[in-house]
Order: sequence, then structure tokens, then C-alpha cells
Amino acid sequence: MNINTNLKEENTYDAIVVGSGISGGWAAKELTEKGLKVLMLERGMNIEHIKDYESAMKAPWEFERAGKLTEEQKRTHPVQTRDYPYNEATEKWWVNDLECPYTEDKRFDWYRGFHVGGKSLMWGRQSYRFSDHNFEDNAKDGHGNDWPIRYKDITKWYDYVEKYAGISGQAENWPLLPDGKFLPPMDLNCVEKSVKERLEKHYNKTRILTIGRTANLTVPHKGRGSCQYRNLCSRGCPFGAYFSTQSSTLPAAMATNRLTVRPYSIVNHIIYDKDTKKAKGVLVIDAETNETMEFYAKIVFVNASTLGSTFLLLNSTSEAHPNGMGNASGQLGHNLMDHHFRCGAEGTAEGFEDKYTYGRRANGIYIPRYQNVGNDKRDYLRGFGYQGGASRGSWHKEVAELAFGENFKATMSLPADSWSMGLGGFGEMLPYYENKVYIDHSKKDKWGQPVLAIDCEYKENEAKMREDMMNDAAEMLEASGIKNVRTYDNDCYPGMAIHEMGTARMGNDPKDSVLNKWNQLHEVSNVFVTDGACMPSVACQNPSLTFMALTARACDYAVKELKKGNI
Amino acid sequence: MNRREALKSVAFLMGSAISATTMGVLFESFTLPEKEKNQVSFSATDEEILAEFADIILPTTASSPGAKAAGLGAFIPMIIRDCYPAKMQEIFASGLKAMQYQCSKEFNKDFLSMSITERQKLVTSLQEEAIAADKAPSFFLIARDLTILGYYSSEIGCTQAREYLPVPGRYDGSATYTPGQKAWATN
Repeated sequence: MNINTNLKEENTYDAIVVGSGISGGWAAKELTEKGLKVLMLERGMNIEHIKDYESAMKAPWEFERAGKLTEEQKRTHPVQTRDYPYNEATEKWWVNDLECPYTEDKRFDWYRGFHVGGKSLMWGRQSYRFSDHNFEDNAKDGHGNDWPIRYKDITKWYDYVEKYAGISGQAENWPLLPDGKFLPPMDLNCVEKSVKERLEKHYNKTRILTIGRTANLTVPHKGRGSCQYRNLCSRGCPFGAYFSTQSSTLPAAMATNRLTVRPYSIVNHIIYDKDTKKAKGVLVIDAETNETMEFYAKIVFVNASTLGSTFLLLNSTSEAHPNGMGNASGQLGHNLMDHHFRCGAEGTAEGFEDKYTYGRRANGIYIPRYQNVGNDKRDYLRGFGYQGGASRGSWHKEVAELAFGENFKATMSLPADSWSMGLGGFGEMLPYYENKVYIDHSKKDKWGQPVLAIDCEYKENEAKMREDMMNDAAEMLEASGIKNVRTYDNDCYPGMAIHEMGTARMGNDPKDSVLNKWNQLHEVSNVFVTDGACMPSVACQNPSLTFMALTARACDYAVKELKKGNI
Repeated sequence: MNRREALKSVAFLMGSAISATTMGVLFESFTLPEKEKNQVSFSATDEEILAEFADIILPTTASSPGAKAAGLGAFIPMIIRDCYPAKMQEIFASGLKAMQYQCSKEFNKDFLSMSITERQKLVTSLQEEAIAADKAPSFFLIARDLTILGYYSSEIGCTQAREYLPVPGRYDGSATYTPGQKAWATN
């Protein structure tokens, strides 16, 4: 008994944060800074800032496996190899699919990273606010449930996280893309500047082009170095120049001396106490030893990634919650969304032969949504934004067919004759109840846990939107003087944008939502979910900044409630 | 970025300089079926021939050493064996043999004994054949593609033929381009 009592004391914290990615890192920072003793549980390995970014400074020819991924890596990563991100320089970030399988009722590309920092080390860093259009769309067109908050509820939290994380960008006063607290913007290049000017003039400023708003520092910020323009962010930044758990939130949380990080800790379920009707802690499987252990806390923040968090709730069953924790509404696992992309247009820009770039900017341009607002009406709901940019490659149109030899080499060693410019759409996907995940007990992962099954598809609204994503891009490029414009649609499956969201949506009504307006389970007051799972809709903007703001807001609320004795 | 990734980005920059065959192989992340792996092998002499062949495609010039110095003799067979499907491996290997046969028939000597001018003449005939065949997969086509890709992702290609800038420190998107200025090695 004594041993157990001691163990229980030793394993008891004020708060447990499940996950160490973008939102988990924020939860750890906010809760520790507000005085709580916090345990952060991460299912994968530890990654120490800078020291563990082994490939960060390597030249292209310095990689060991001259060639490609090994046959063994391709065998163990059948999902991660479906698209570009998994390669030798970044291989440690991506999961071994065989160890953590899932069931695809329909194709869903699930990209995952199990390590301290989670996808904060691998993300695309584009950081955009949602606007009231986004918070109101569900209520207006009747798809999905109404968001329980509006822009005014989250404005100061956007301010707060932007100021700390460091987001560079240009204020534009565009209603669908509210301005933030920006560091100086990165520069548009000469072609992008020309396209911006011509495009905004042609459309009389009913469409705008701005530099991407990105979590890359353009000036030193809070002890972190500024971007060195290497465009190698995906390897981890040795200058700490982009926001990650390691570069930003973790050091702040560690500085409080109130944070304990435990890697290799798979949270299997949240332990429910039927007497208090609250969570009393979590059951952890040690990923290395398979040993199980319990940890206890007054509050639990679930930040295990959209589908990781929902899996955890679905797997936390009890007499009071037979279908998963907080699932009385039956909405848990439903309304899975992602953005849809990989279509747009590109062409060549003439007249800039005397210009070139210096440095490699890990950022592009952004054209915020302009569809289905004001006089712009489409035959589908919601809309899309564009990301893209201009560059001068090495393509030479005068090179003879299959040329070789001295002159050929001389030409190929020079930049291309002309610049090219492309626009790729990022479209909103509607919430559909039937796009869902559930637990598949017929399979087990490496640790004996059941797996997630995913049943999700894009539908007609998305298909119609893709037509415009191509055609509008071509029209805008042509209006901007771009030549040889061609459209493309490289096909897209849910999961590919790695912006999966929904499945534990927020809402005012406990009958049709899982979380309340504070990201708190309607039914279990000391459990909060503040990652992508909470989203009632996805807008068309990159979402991570919104997860950060919602997390900081929920932490503030949780600690206040805790102090009032309400939790 | 591994070599394959480096090749992809170089290939992307090259645009139409690289054949559709090679683009397809490099941009597909397929796994070769067991039975298709390493259908062909290459001897030390093959590697020497490939190095000399590559040096005809991208020779040493005043500005920089050529493909042979950049290690293409070993690089080409490695990529063929690791990345190319069996059928293409066969096309490549039989094409290499056919080229050697052509050397003895038309020049009455083996490839390695031929002068640079003779090799250029030979490669020109292979080039004409490839154009006539509408760029169907062939030894010439694949060897040329891999020479270009391997060279511009090698240290010599990146730092001497082109300019490699590991830590630019700033971004200027309207920098003046001086005629003759080399292309950046990475993007």
C-alpha cells in the first residue's frame, strides 16, 4: 500500500498534456507559466533542439545513402512514401506505418510524426487568422454546426500567440483574412511584385496578393535567430528561426521548472472517475518497455493531433461513457475534414531576364479567399485561397533536343531564360457527418492497441470548387501578363494537405457537439481538446495558428476555473 | 534531402532538359517488386565506359571539371540498379552492349580506345537515333539524363559548374543578374 501511495503521489501533477506538438507545446507553456505543475506525455522519442537536427547543415552531396530511400524504408513506410515529405534528410520525423497501422475504408493519407515537437518540426509554417466569415459560414449555409465563438472571442488570443511565436507578414486590411501582430514581411520577388500590381489593378482590388504570413522570423525574436534563407526548414532549424515546440514554447515551459516531459509515453486512455464525474488521470504504455502506468492530474489537455486525440477519447470508454469519453452527442469521430489542393495554374513571366534571386525564401505568396462574398457568387459553397510564387529555374528553351557537350554544359550551368509563376489553390472542405473515424478492433498496433479506421471522401462541393481553383488561377495569371499559362489538377485525397481537422467539434449544444466554447468536454469538465479535432469547420486557411490561439485561450479559462474550484 | 530528392529538385529545375522516362522513374516513389530488383550488373570496365560516356555529355571545360571527375561512372549504375524498373534496366544494359558493338563495327576499336572526336561522333549518332525514335527509353536517353542529374547534384556540379550558397543570410528577389552569372545549385 505504501509503495502505491508513494507512486501515486509521485505520479500526480496539476495538469497532464497529452502530446507535444504545436498545441501541446502551447498548453505546456501556458499552464506552467500560470503556476501549474505539468506532465507532458509524448508517445515518441525525444528531440533536442539543434543537437538532434543532424541533417540540418548537410550539403546535397553529403548524404550517406547516395541514391534514395532504402528498399527497407519503402517497405516500412508505405503511407509516408505516398507523397514528398519523407526522405533521407527528414526520415526521422515520419512514422513507421507498419508499427501503427490504420484502416482505410477509403484512401486517406495519414502523415504522422511521433517525437517531442510533433508536427511543429515538420509543418509548413503558413499562419493565417480565421475571420468572422469563417466562424459564421456553418450557421449561414447550414453545413456543420454553428461555431460557439466569433472572431471577437479569439482576437486577443491571436494577438497573444503571434507576438510570442513570431509571425512575419504584411497587413492588408482584407476582411476575410484579418491582420495580425506581424514581424516585418518577407519580400516579394520582382515577378511577384509585377503580378501583384497588375492583378490588383485588373480586379480593382477585389482580389489581392500578399506575401505569405509565416512563422519564420525576419528579425531576431525572443532570443531566437532570424531566418537565414536556406529553405531547409524541413530538417529542423539550427537557428531556431521558425516556430516549433523546441524553439519556442518548450524553453518557456522548462524555464518555469514546473514541466516534466516524458517521451515514449503512449496514452492509451483517460481514466474516468465515476464518483467525481471527472477524469482522474491517464493510462500510459511505455513505448519502449510496453510497461503500463498511471498518471494523475486535476486537468487533462488532449493535444495528440486531430485523429490521435479523437482515438484517445474513443478508446476511453467507461460505464458512463460507453461510446467514448464525452460522446453522448454521438458526434465524436464524425465530421472529419481536410483541405483540398494540388490544383491551379502556372506559366512563364517575360521581361525579367536581368533579374535573379539571392537567397532561398521558404515562403511564397498568398491570395486570400474572395469567392462567395459580396457580388462574387459561385455554384458551390465557401471558397479557396492560393499559395504560390515566382522563381527563375534552369530551363533553357533554346537548348537543342537531347543536346550534349561543351556548349550544352555552359548553358545548363546558367539560370533559365525566363521566370515562372504558379498559383495552387487550397480549398475548404465542408463538414459531412458521414466522413468519420472509428475504432477497428480487428487490428492491433505494435503495442497491442486497436487501430483507427478512417472513412472520408471529398464530395461534389469540393469537386466543383476545383474547377474554379484551376480556372481562376489561369485567368489571374493571364490578366497579370503571364505567358504560356497551363492549368493542372494533380488529384487529391483527404489527408494529403496534412490539415486534418474535426471529429470532436466545439459547439454550444451538448446534444450535437463534443466540446464547449472553451474546448472543454461538455460532459467531463476537466478534459480539454485544443488541437485540430475541435474544429467545426476548416475555412481555407492553414489552421495551426488557430490551434495555438484556442489553446492559449482554453488554458487561461481552465486555470481560472481550477482556481475558482469549478474543475 | 537524399540524393534522390536532390535529383528530383534538380530534375524539376531542368524542366524539359530531362526526358519524360527519367522524370517518371524519379518522381514515382514505387517499390520495385523483389523479382525486378537488380536485374543487371555492371563491371569495372562498364563503369569506366560510363564515366567516359558521361564526360562526352558534360566534359571538363575552363569553368569546371566534367562528369567523369564528378563520379558519374559509379553513380549511373548505382541509380540504374536502385531506382529503375527491371525492364528499363534491361534496356539500359543491352543498349550499353549495343554501343560497344557499334564501336567495334564502325570504329574498329573498343570505346575506351577511341579518341574524344570519335566518341563525340558515336554519341551524335546515338542522339540522332533517340530523336528518330521519339525519345523512347534507350541507353543514350537514360545515361544522358542521369549524367545531367548526377552532375548537377554532385559537389563539383554544385560548387564549380554552378554556385552553392549554404547560408545566404538574406533574400533579395530583385537581384541584378549579370550576364554569364552561374545558376544557384539549390533552390
